[in-house]
Amino acid sequence: MNPLIFTTILMTVLLGTMIVMMSSHWLMIWIGFEMNLLAIIPILMKKYNPRTMEASTKYFLTQATASMLLMMAIIINLMHSGQWTIMKVFNPTASIIMTSALAMKLGLTPFHFWVPEVTQGISLTSGLILLTWQKLAPMSILYQISPSINLNILLTMAVLSILVGGWGGLNQTQLRKIMAYSSIAHMGWMTAVLAYNPTLTMLNMLIYIMMTLTMFMLFIHSSSTTTLSLSHTWNKTPLTTTLILITLLSMGGLPPLSGFMPKWMIIQELTKNSSIILPTLMAIMALLNLYFYMRLTYSTSLTMFPSTNNMKMKWQFETKRITLLPPLIVMSSLLLPLTPMLSILD
Amino acid sequence: MMTYIVFILSVIFVVSFVGFSSKPSPIYGGLVLIVSGGVGCGIIMNFGGSFLGLMVFLIYLGGMLVVFGYTTAMATEQYPEVWVSNTTVMGVFLLGLLMEVMLVLYVLKSEEVGVVFKFSGVGDWAIYDTGDSGVFSEEIMGVAALYSYGAWVVIVTGWSLFVGVLVILEVTRGD
Repeated sequence: MNPLIFTTILMTVLLGTMIVMMSSHWLMIWIGFEMNLLAIIPILMKKYNPRTMEASTKYFLTQATASMLLMMAIIINLMHSGQWTIMKVFNPTASIIMTSALAMKLGLTPFHFWVPEVTQGISLTSGLILLTWQKLAPMSILYQISPSINLNILLTMAVLSILVGGWGGLNQTQLRKIMAYSSIAHMGWMTAVLAYNPTLTMLNMLIYIMMTLTMFMLFIHSSSTTTLSLSHTWNKTPLTTTLILITLLSMGGLPPLSGFMPKWMIIQELTKNSSIILPTLMAIMALLNLYFYMRLTYSTSLTMFPSTNNMKMKWQFETKRITLLPPLIVMSSLLLPLTPMLSILD
Repeated sequence: MMTYIVFILSVIFVVSFVGFSSKPSPIYGGLVLIVSGGVGCGIIMNFGGSFLGLMVFLIYLGGMLVVFGYTTAMATEQYPEVWVSNTTVMGVFLLGLLMEVMLVLYVLKSEEVGVVFKFSGVGDWAIYDTGDSGVFSEEIMGVAALYSYGAWVVIVTGWSLFVGVLVILEVTRGD
């Protein structure tokens, strides 16, 4: 793509999310979502093969439907409250419709079906932008309307997302689908605590973005999109096998890595609010996630995965220069002692 | 009949939306879009917005829909789908019509309709006065406000349209 056009379109994606996060008028928020959606389509379609086109079409259709539902909820809110300011939603119907629309944008169950298919069809860099940056705008709106969300619907979607994210990822060998199911599960954790303490949602989002950025960059560095291909990194860059191990275990939520921090805080907040069964279920279902992360680490760093001898050498043109990879790796594994500082997120 | 003209126009609006969402060929979709655009213009004009109604005809129908019609005519197939050619399309169209007819009968017969909002019969659609804003017409004030207080909206929507064109060119460019 022409670099000037690419820069313009990338800046428009950023501008769309910024407009969503900064606006106080519902119409501007909707405009921000549409601008974001419109501008990310050519980024998803960077390579012109039928897979990327199908993935972009699926993404466009689901997100456009979600924007339509959001607009309907905005208008119902306008009819019942007479004002366009974003604050809590005044009508239960509008609140339910808006929650469903934002869940469709995030990829929460039962609207999660597009996430693996779209992530699989696009390149690794586009998948990176899709799974990290695109989650910021809907989550910021959920944060702002959190006092008025129907708790039953929110918690049902959250628990089902954690279940689907864990269970669905079990049978995958393609790394992009694994990251997609991991994204579904993490979104479930984030929305579970939204009604109780939205600060922890933001904390989870921050740490999830750091870990997902790290994982994707490690995949881009070794140009691998399948488990088999990832298992050859011992031959190319032996150091990245250790880094993949640490980051994947952090994503699984193991102490003493930083991925444990959001899960610990969320479970503590939920139990403080006297719900015991829910965090127990969530913690048990996070084990499913941990299982397929551990399978990846087993085949990548802990064993020399069986393959024929001529497949062991990986072909690449030049060493890719990955921006900010060392700081990201450090941040996604060593942040746990900084937990008392999360009061700055308030 | 003139008292309930907005209601009648709204019904025709919904029926033409059902007509193109039951997915015939895009040429026929454009045809009902023309009808729905004209009827929508009528609804706006009944609320006193003559300027906006004329803009619908000029810009929407005369600009965007003409471009749409030309591009669809270039990409059309040999036997385009009509509403009665395919059982699925006809079924969906009839289903939409049926639901609209049932809703209209519900509104006409009962005193209060509470689907998401509470309407008290057909009377809620009748226009008694066009707002008591005194000497000024509201819709011209709205347009004026768009270009004064709403400058940011103009900038954002203008940028969105520009990026829309860039995106379309990029997507259709291919390799």
